[in-house]
Amino acid sequence: MALEQKYQELINAAKTSEVQNLQVREQNNVLYIDGEANSGAVKDNLWNIYNKIDPDFKGGDLVLNINVKAASGSKAKVITKESNLNIRKGPGTEQPTVGKAAHNEIVTVLNQTNEQWWLIKTNGGVEGYAYSQYLTPA
Amino acid sequence: MKKLIYLPLALALSAGGFSGCKSKQANNDANTTTTSADTVTNTAPVQISSDDLLSTGVRDATKDFPGVSATVNNGEVTLTGNIKRDRLPTLMQSVQSLHPRKVNNNLTVE
Repeated sequence: MALEQKYQELINAAKTSEVQNLQVREQNNVLYIDGEANSGAVKDNLWNIYNKIDPDFKGGDLVLNINVKAASGSKAKVITKESNLNIRKGPGTEQPTVGKAAHNEIVTVLNQTNEQWWLIKTNGGVEGYAYSQYLTPA
Repeated sequence: MKKLIYLPLALALSAGGFSGCKSKQANNDANTTTTSADTVTNTAPVQISSDDLLSTGVRDATKDFPGVSATVNNGEVTLTGNIKRDRLPTLMQSVQSLHPRKVNNNLTVE
């Protein structure tokens, strides 16, 4: 319960920003917060609060897993720092690249294969898997 | 002649039976309330990924961070090396979405 108090502001923010399937569990001195956000902004806000409570995420007492939902057929923006985003044949960095999407390019989400990899298609017709960390619903 | 008398009666009874079912169903629907989404209590144990899955996931997550090394042991991910502060949230978001038991951040943040 002590950890829930430490991260109370974060838990409250998750509730008020309507994070779906929100789960807050404490186990062996680690707090696990899981849920699905409707936008990248909600996720970013929660991570900013996490960083404020536990500067540079050094505490090792929270595992925050907030995934952003993107419907099949919806648009997503490439949010790499500045480089191109690799599009791969399969979901994994060991998979060969089949193309690239540019920084800030808008692509179509075909499905959210898992929490790490989304199947996308570019306007240029390149279809493959991209790392979800570099995509946000547009 | 008896059959002709009973048939309308049977129809009336069965019709009454059906309408009774229908109204009961309608009541059930009306009484169903949507549970609010703010329930956060869950007693199911936290699902932790296997070390094999974590190792694959950590390899993908750290690919774009040449100064960062990661090890996996019994569900715990330990990060060492150097990272720029503005890149740290991106890495932590990736690693913490892998369902680790714990993330030990031993990175030197620049």
